[in-house]
Amino acid sequence: MRIMQNSGVPIYQQIAGQFKEDILAGKFKQGEFLPSIRGLAKDLRISVITTIKAYEELEKNGLVTAVQGKGYYVNAQDSEMLREQHIRKMEEYLLNAISAAKIANVPDSELINILKMLIETEESGK
Amino acid sequence: MDTDNVVSINNLYKKFKSFVLDIPSLNIPKGFATALIGENGAGKSTFINILAGVRLDYKGTIDYFNGEKEEKVIRENIGYTGPGNYFMPHWTIEQIADASGLLFEKFDKDRFYGICKLLGIEISGIQKKNKGFNKLSDGMKMKVVLANVFARETKMLLLDEPASPLDPLMRDKLCQMIREYLEQGNGGNSVLFSTHNIADMENVTDYAIIMEKGKIAEQGFVEDLKEKYILVKGENEDADKVKDILFSIQKSNYGFEGMCLAEDIDKLAGLNISKEIPELSQISIAVMKKYTQLM
Repeated sequence: MRIMQNSGVPIYQQIAGQFKEDILAGKFKQGEFLPSIRGLAKDLRISVITTIKAYEELEKNGLVTAVQGKGYYVNAQDSEMLREQHIRKMEEYLLNAISAAKIANVPDSELINILKMLIETEESGK
Repeated sequence: MDTDNVVSINNLYKKFKSFVLDIPSLNIPKGFATALIGENGAGKSTFINILAGVRLDYKGTIDYFNGEKEEKVIRENIGYTGPGNYFMPHWTIEQIADASGLLFEKFDKDRFYGICKLLGIEISGIQKKNKGFNKLSDGMKMKVVLANVFARETKMLLLDEPASPLDPLMRDKLCQMIREYLEQGNGGNSVLFSTHNIADMENVTDYAIIMEKGKIAEQGFVEDLKEKYILVKGENEDADKVKDILFSIQKSNYGFEGMCLAEDIDKLAGLNISKEIPELSQISIAVMKKYTQLM
């Protein structure tokens, strides 16, 4: 995990963001505990309260659940909910694309072709 | 956030000739590193001395470890370091280790030598030259004192200006030792340290107590304080409009800078300003300045 002291993004947000990515990428299994707050603070050389704030942020996003005295475990059901959120966002963007296509008089078949092409370019770029 | 307290203070009062320490109520959170910040003469050392039991002539009540009454238990679980010399001046490192072993039940001599090595204190070197504690430099003295206190099994450390005599490398090491101590306790170990140079210790500070003229001017978890205050920068043409809303304002030819309470930020709507999350050191300075003005 990389922490930038002077990036302008608060450190707790950097930590929360990276855990969020890891959780959604499946690097943490459901029910698995995140590193202990004081252990993480030691390893990242930051204060304990900053790691707590990062974990609280993840809890607010429904990614983890706090257990008194035990730490934070990865919440499977809520990850599902987050996926839902992403799908909704995706649909919203697609709807925008459809209405833009209508304005530009782009036929549906061409719109679908453009989408396919974009997916291919994106994948070959990886 | 809900937290337990390692120390709870009520109606603490101590009067010197021209100085009054007056703390109606204060809790120190358990499991965290708390910084006591204030200028010279703010009462930091007096406060820590009272907590550590160095000074007993005060009014008020102090509750340790959630209602622990046994004085011996309290003393055994507190590690204190201060600026004074409390080892005999001619003592060598080995004699310090022997004495600490006699004084405290849970002093681990091997651990003490281990930390000494880690901090670059030459044990046998001092012995050979028959160099006593008082022949050491201020930085070396502090290192020995810190090694001595970290070699004990304790529940709370009270460190009075631990970083002052240390070089930047050692300050960094001290921060890491504090983090390790907190981790080892798994939420049961707490640290209170005083400093007038908070920037060096900012990355290890969880809770901040800002002291001014014997009173608590501000306190809170650092992440909360960073949301409570906003650092505002703007152009000089707006300086008049903000002068009652911002405090600790600094003006130059290129604009102004000042601290704003987050709850007041809407009053600045429409002005051409930029907002920043302040560092703890910036909050501390602004609060101290504000308090000094009020007095």
